[in-house]
Parts: sequence; C-alpha cells; structure tokens
Amino acid sequence: MKQFYDFKVEKIKDLSPEDKNLREEYLDLFYKNGFPNKKEEDWKFTDLNSILSKNFDNITNKDFLLDNKKLNFINEFEHNHIYLLDGKLISSDLTYEDRNKISIIDFNYKNNITIDKNNSLNLLNNALAMGGFTLEVSKNYKLNKPLIIYNYFSKDIKETIINNKNSIILNDNSELTLINYIDNKSKDNFMVNSMENIEIRRDALLKNIFINNSKSAGYFYKYIKSDLEKNSVFENYILSSGLKFNKLDIEINLNQEYAKSTIFSALNLLESEHQEIKTRINHNSQNCQSYQKIKNVLSDQSKGVYQGKIFVKKIAQKTDAYQLSKALILNDDAEFDAKPELEIYADDVKCSHGSTSGSIDLDSLHYLKSRGIPEKEAYKMLISGFLGETLEKLIEENVKFFLLKKLEGQINGN
Amino acid sequence: MLSIQNLEARIDNKNILNGLNLNINPGEVHAIMGPNGSGKSTLANVLSGKNGYETKGLIKFNETDLNDLSTEERAQKGIFLAFQYPLEIPGVNTNIFLRTSLNAVRKAKGEKEIDTLTFLKLIKEKASELGIDEKFLSRQLNVGFSGGEKKKNEILQMKLLQPKLSILDETDSGLDIDALRIVADGVNSYKNKDNAFLIITHYQRLLDYIKPDFIHVLSNGKIAKTGGAELGIELEKTGYANIS
Repeated sequence: MKQFYDFKVEKIKDLSPEDKNLREEYLDLFYKNGFPNKKEEDWKFTDLNSILSKNFDNITNKDFLLDNKKLNFINEFEHNHIYLLDGKLISSDLTYEDRNKISIIDFNYKNNITIDKNNSLNLLNNALAMGGFTLEVSKNYKLNKPLIIYNYFSKDIKETIINNKNSIILNDNSELTLINYIDNKSKDNFMVNSMENIEIRRDALLKNIFINNSKSAGYFYKYIKSDLEKNSVFENYILSSGLKFNKLDIEINLNQEYAKSTIFSALNLLESEHQEIKTRINHNSQNCQSYQKIKNVLSDQSKGVYQGKIFVKKIAQKTDAYQLSKALILNDDAEFDAKPELEIYADDVKCSHGSTSGSIDLDSLHYLKSRGIPEKEAYKMLISGFLGETLEKLIEENVKFFLLKKLEGQINGN
Repeated sequence: MLSIQNLEARIDNKNILNGLNLNINPGEVHAIMGPNGSGKSTLANVLSGKNGYETKGLIKFNETDLNDLSTEERAQKGIFLAFQYPLEIPGVNTNIFLRTSLNAVRKAKGEKEIDTLTFLKLIKEKASELGIDEKFLSRQLNVGFSGGEKKKNEILQMKLLQPKLSILDETDSGLDIDALRIVADGVNSYKNKDNAFLIITHYQRLLDYIKPDFIHVLSNGKIAKTGGAELGIELEKTGYANIS
C-alpha cells in the first residue's frame, strides 16, 4: 500500500528537547501501528487506513497556518464563546458570566497526555498535538448562557492533519451547556484528530452538543474520555450530518453512585458520508444510569456505524442501562452497521438494548398525505420527526429550536 | 358529489369489494354498516387513495375521476378520511402538522397560506369547541394520546380543513359516552347543505347522535340493503344475519 502520510515532530516550533523526545517516541509508536484498520475490533466497520489512503495523497502536519477569520456568530440565542482556529485557542468571550468563576487557559502539552497505546490516533495526537484549551468551572457556578466553541479552519488546509487536546472540568454542583460548532465549508480534504478529557464532579451537569454549520470535506475523529462523580449528569446530543467523515469515540466512566449519562444522536447521512458513533459506558459504581438513543437516516451511498458497549462492574448493582439504535435506510447502496455489546458482572441490574432498521413507514406517509401534504414534504416531515425526537429531552428551548432548524437544513441537503 | 359505480377492490389476491355502487349528494349523511370483514374499511382506504389495492370501476368526485388523483390531491380537492386508527408520528409536532396540512390544502385551492399567529388563534378556537386541551397541540402527533383524544384530533383536522366529503371510519370505536357526544356535536356543527358525510360504523349508537339520511348495509363487498335511519334501529335488534 502506498504511504499516504508523512508526519514530522520537527515541524513543530519551539519545543523543549525533552518534549521533542517524548513526542518522537509517540510518533515512532504510531508509525509501528499506522492508522487503524478493520482488523481492529474498534474499527471493524470503519477501515480508517483504507478510507484515508483512498482519499489522501500525502497528509502532513504543519505548524499553525493562522489565517485569521471573521467569526460568523450564531445569532439565534445569546451565548459565550471560545474561538478555535485549526484547533488552537485564539480567544474566548464570557460576556454573560462571572469571570472569576470560569477559567479558560491555553493548551498545556504535559497536562494533557493521555496514554492509550492501543489507540494509534491517540499516539499520533500525543506526538503532534499543538493546540487546545483547558476549561474549568468553579464549584456551585451555573453558567447563565450556553458556551459555543467555534471551530474554524484555515483556508490552506488541504492534505493537512490537525491534532489538538482539550480538557473540561466541572467542579461540584456546577453547570455548563457546551456547543461544539464546526463552521467549515472546505471542499479540500483534511483531517482533525482531537482528544478531550472531561471531568464532571459531584452534582455537576454538562450538556455537550455537536453540530456543524455546513457540509465539509474534513475527516474528523474525536476521542472523549469522561469521568463522572456522584450524582453528576453528562448529556450528549450529536447532530454532525454533513461532515464527510466523522467518528466520535466516547468513553464515559460512571465512577460514583447516582451518576447519569445520556447520548442522543440524530444523523441524516447523504452521498458518501461515513459517520460512526462509538461508545463505551463503564458502570463502575452502583445506582448509575446510562441511556443511549442513536438514530440514523441513510441515503445515497452513505454509511452509518454504531458500536455501543455497556460494561457493568461487579459492584455496580442497581445499574439502569439502556441502548437503542434505529436506522432508516432509504437507498439500497446505503449501509448501517450496529454492534451493541453488553458485558455485565453485577447480578441486580436493568440493562436493555435494541436495534432496528427499516424504511419509511408507508402507513404514516399515507396519513400525512391524506391531509393534503405532498409526498415529498410528508417524507421530509417523517424524517425530521424521526431524528428530531432525539432532542425532546433538551430543555433549553432556544437552543433546541436552533438545532431543529439546523436539522431541517441538513435534511433539505444544505 | 360522489358517484361510485361497480367498484371492485383486491388486496393480496383477495377480492374485498365486489361491484359496489353508491351515490352521495351534497347535504347528505350516509352511514355504512355491516359485519366484520364486509369491506367497510377497504372502501374508506380506496376512497382515500391508499396504495396496495388493485381497483376496477368508476369513482367520480365532482366530475373528477378519483383514480387519476394521488392521496394528497384527493385531500386537497376536499375528501377527508377520519382514520379508524390514527397514526402516531413521533417527533412531528401536532401544531406544525396541522398548519402544514391546512396550508397545503389552501395552496392547492389557490388561497394564501396562513401565518403562524392567525393559525394559532384559529386552532385554539377549533380545539376548544371540541374540548381539546391546548397542551395536546404542542405534543407529538398522536403520540401517547388516548383513543378518545386521537379521535377528537381527527375531527379537529376535519373542521380545520373543511372538506366537502368527510369519511368517518369507525370514529365511534374507543369513545366513551361524553367523547362520543363531543365528536357527534363536532360533526353536526360542521354539517351543511354543501358538504356530505360517509359514516362507517358497527353500531347504532353514533347514529343516535348523527342522524343519517341513508343507511347501507355492506355484505361481501357489495351494498346488500339500503334504507333510512330506521334501518339502523332494526339492525340493532335483528343483526346482520338476515341480510346477504
């Protein structure tokens, strides 16, 4: 197979000799493994090595391009923001908050190293990461407004990889609604490899929303490792339709009792888009809850993948874990793969999972048409209803309204 | 208004309707009764243009051949079917559905689309006439509604769309006495000399509230007997056994 990548630590400026050596070691490890391929269980349905080799000639890492952009703000609702350009923290604005209660600081390589030697993208990230942020919310502080992370990318990004690392810490009884917003219309291929470490302490609540503004030819991979303390809540809403390739790899550790996590995903995939949601929920303590609802609508030659694992430790009695995947496959060339897994060592638990795939319900279509609604419109209504239902639990009405509007745009192919 | 001549319908290689004839004029209320499996719901489905039926025969609606029209075109021209089992549509907001439907019908008639505020005022008024709690309108369409709530929602749609011909397919099933009265009042208040009703039912009790001009007994996919309102009362006593 042709070599389609060429990564060099020396392209990163101003490294201490010590950092440089460490990074070189990670890069060597990466080169031993290469990009993950379908022989690895975690990449069974997403042969990244083969996908990248078909779509890239020579991916390289660069120092920052920093082609500064004018932010195109979301104006549907008031919000704070963080601006990331090529994964690097450029600025932040906490207009609506008490500035003493939140800290946002620039990337610190040493503080952000995560070692999972089985994940070669983690290795690559440890070798090449150049930007990111650490966000920390003080004890008892609940943000007044959502915080949007605007992800922008430079123009000359073709055949480039961006590696960044973020860290989010919510201290006891704090609350934050975070919106990961990708604003990129690139028709050039590029890759983004992110790692995020999330700590949600006692009684804290984090809502994490993923949405993009438009279609992008970028290849995105994000690895999230999260740890939840007692009575904390972690909600995820994923609406990343339009990205050529996206894989969200989410690990949630419910480490103390009464911690709760939810993952709602609503994807409408078109053309040759390929997206995967991979989750691993570790019930490490008793009385925790996890809930996952994954919905995909697949058209054209698109491919959707869901790999969801629920792991229940022996001590995690009274676990309540639920996992459901539903797919609508609208074209014979589209594909959906689901691999639900339960690994349970406790004996007093409630765990259920289900997976269905099918096409549009013709009786429902008939019902809408019998009310004078033209077939095409009725079709779209059913699709947006099918996907939009995943946002039912989101209580911020203005954010929900915005997301539903985006979803509708995605369904209309914008 | 509606003229059905020698209608035959098949589904899955089974003949359901076998030469049915029926004429409905403006201002008339027709009831269709008959035993299970006699083809009542098939007739409703065929009139609404549901896919899957092989049909023969003529169905004319105000001089238009219905066989040439899609389901949505039939609705836009003024045919309304109140479903026996209204469908639950997750994720579709009832209000948005109702407004989309109303505007689709208005647009087809060459009328201006109605804006959100005017619509909300209108729907609030119509809902309160039927004793429908406004909260239902902001919920997902029929999801988690009780049987009675679903049927009331059908009548609400009828009153909103103002069809010329309303087909009520066992609208009385699953209704308690109070809901039955509300639904019947809804129909009676909409009835006028320009529109017509085709009421499909198993029981006389709905016809105590909505007085039919004609009652037809359907048997083996044909109309076996036609009479006035008194026929229903007779059937209640004697059953369908003597009619074939």
